[in-house]
Amino acid sequence: MLTTLIRFWANGWIHTLYIEPEFHFKYYGFSWVTDFGNYTYLLYVICIISSIGIILGYRYRLSIFLLFLLFTYTELIDKTTYLNHYYFTSCIALLLCFLPAAHYFSLDALKKKKTIEAIPSWMVDGIKLFLCIVYFYAGIAKINSDWLIEAQPLSIWLTSKYDIPLIGELLKYKLIHYTASWSGMLYDVFISFFLLYPKTRKIAFLFVLLFHIMTKVFFPSIGMFPFIMIFGATIFFDVKWHKNILLHLHYLGIKLTQKFDFLKSKLTSKKSITLFKPKKHVLPIFLTFFFIQLLLPFRYFAYPGELFWNEQGYRFSWRVMLMEKKGYTTFKIKDSVSQKTFYVDNTDFLTPFQERQMSFQPDFILEYAHYLADHFENQGHQNIQVFTDSFVALNGRSSQRFIDPSTDLSKEIESFKHKKWVLPLEDEIYGL
Amino acid sequence: MKKSIYFKLVILLLIFQGCSGDSDTIEIIEKTDQSNVSDNNSKSTAEFDRSSMLSFWADSIILPSIIGFENELNIFNENVANFTANPNANNLSLLREQWLTTYKKWQYVEMFDMGVAEEIFFKNRMNIFPANVERIERNIKNQKFNFDESANFAAQGFTALDYLLFGVEQEDDTILTKYSDSSLNYDDYLIQVTSKMLELTVLVKAQWEGDYRDSFVQSTDNNATSSINMMLNDFVYYFEKGYRANKFGIPAGVFSGGPLPNRVEAYHGEMYSKILSLEATTAIENFFNGIAYNDPETLGPSIKDYLDFVESGLAERLSERINEKLQGGRTKINELNTNFIKQIEDNNTSMLHTYDAIQSTVILFKVDMLQKLNVSVDYADADGD
Repeated sequence: MLTTLIRFWANGWIHTLYIEPEFHFKYYGFSWVTDFGNYTYLLYVICIISSIGIILGYRYRLSIFLLFLLFTYTELIDKTTYLNHYYFTSCIALLLCFLPAAHYFSLDALKKKKTIEAIPSWMVDGIKLFLCIVYFYAGIAKINSDWLIEAQPLSIWLTSKYDIPLIGELLKYKLIHYTASWSGMLYDVFISFFLLYPKTRKIAFLFVLLFHIMTKVFFPSIGMFPFIMIFGATIFFDVKWHKNILLHLHYLGIKLTQKFDFLKSKLTSKKSITLFKPKKHVLPIFLTFFFIQLLLPFRYFAYPGELFWNEQGYRFSWRVMLMEKKGYTTFKIKDSVSQKTFYVDNTDFLTPFQERQMSFQPDFILEYAHYLADHFENQGHQNIQVFTDSFVALNGRSSQRFIDPSTDLSKEIESFKHKKWVLPLEDEIYGL
Repeated sequence: MKKSIYFKLVILLLIFQGCSGDSDTIEIIEKTDQSNVSDNNSKSTAEFDRSSMLSFWADSIILPSIIGFENELNIFNENVANFTANPNANNLSLLREQWLTTYKKWQYVEMFDMGVAEEIFFKNRMNIFPANVERIERNIKNQKFNFDESANFAAQGFTALDYLLFGVEQEDDTILTKYSDSSLNYDDYLIQVTSKMLELTVLVKAQWEGDYRDSFVQSTDNNATSSINMMLNDFVYYFEKGYRANKFGIPAGVFSGGPLPNRVEAYHGEMYSKILSLEATTAIENFFNGIAYNDPETLGPSIKDYLDFVESGLAERLSERINEKLQGGRTKINELNTNFIKQIEDNNTSMLHTYDAIQSTVILFKVDMLQKLNVSVDYADADGD
């Protein structure tokens, strides 16, 4: 987490993603979330401090709570930056708020001179369950004709990775694309079961390592995700395994060992177990959380049309790396009385990154259309209508018109309802 | 689509059986030599040598077009000397003729906006229009100006020449009078504009004759700074901005709500806008299809071949659709008046239709082509998942 934040800062992304844009794409219902100009850095400072707090186990409760709140807040500033693994981070942080994760091997524990050796198993199982959900849902989302039968989008992506040393030249072969697609799907669907089953756990973890390192090699741009998942998967190992790791850590530094001497004795002894008793409200919160997690990814059933095309119910559903989508969307401002029209230069309002994301996601297009309508109204234009000229290509298909060009988007209102002005995909994708 | 899905399922099953048994090679690797890359229609995975595409671009398209342009610019420079020494009607018409010839050659150079060209704002200083007439007149009067200032970009290059040769006065007689009086400094400004253009062109040429060429050819990776990606980005950007918007969209009023005939290329010369845009069309087609600059018969590895390579096995080729659209745009341009100003004033609808035809190619370039080649247009450097 700390690395993620520092990486974010070091890459200058705080500036390019949050401060620079003139306008932010908001999540529905979160339009009140705003950036604080240069003070946005302050949010990150607090996040970084809290994540250090979490690692050291210092003021753990406060740290994790702040981290959850602020990190989630920064993500809400602009949905252009939505990534499944940021969402994953927020969810985990939320769960960790309720876990006494700093009652052992931590500064907090050192201070209080007491530790908790056991917590109700359902709390750790909760984290495990969450990881299982992520994998499993990511897996079943891959059971579709594009992924399995066309080997898309991996076909496009892998072919273009010809510059990876040694294996790059192989990546143009169809056989490789199909192998990668199918094994990816099988891995995601089944890995959690093998991790849960003690006898296969070690092998399964080996696969976790292999899989995520491979994804990192093929797609360096996925950032920290592989590492998060690899470390996340260690939760499946039992207490002994973790204690052993901690013991090894002890032997590394003498100072550390001395200070944690009292812990060491406990690490090795099996007696005097103090059980952590969570507050009463925690269990219901966990249950609600999982109830939502289990149902949310299926909300797309409520919408007609192709999910990949309309993206209604796509986010927050662990749909990872399923689409190669490119769009080109321009906006035509029309005076409904004088019939005069002109096109907008998107670069006047959006950063290149925003423009790219906007051009193929209906909710972005609508929000931007409204922004443009407001902007030109404030400039004194009247009777404004906003039309689009929009083309999108999905997973190697030819581009086709995306938004009904006769719809005045300034009259359409964002909601959870089906967006009728998105033209249907002229093809079918089978599967879940 | 449905049929092909079942078909592919069967193929898939076969492939997986092949894997479980003795791993036979299913893919047939066929090494195609350059001469028949373009008509390779087999279902195998052909080889594609990116490096040889880059060297063909550098050696047979980019450098030759810069040299070709420089040669004409040198001749123009001589004509300028002749004209300023003897400002008569004959020399003026010779000068104008050579101006057009040089301007046409420029259309082959503008899209290669990389390296030194990008650093010195080559394309902005050679051909940003409309000309800033006020600025030009002020520069001439004051005799104190710095061409390296961005405020002077629209006061130099071809646009300035356009004004100097056609626009300083209404009639040729009066234009000649202005150049005959050396105290007015028009002749001096003409000389200075021309020598600046030569100076910049020599800089750009020197880059391609130097080490840059080798590093360009060797950079075959797929990332933000690699040659193929930079070139494709420049090409698509040029098509969208330099070609579509500047030559057609802006004057037709696509972005402004009303036509702006004074924004056409070579506005003061009036009847050259169509010739120039057709030349640019040829430059675009040639680059896309890998046609050598000095010899239209010589074909080399191109974007078209690259697309055919990633689409090998597909019946309907994107490259063919792109060529059809490019041809469609050319047909529309051919129907226009030689003088775009007149076309816009008389019947802007045809101009708008031309724009639409070109716009449909932009979509194929920016959406379909860049997706197939998995080349990013922005490089907003952020994580994905």
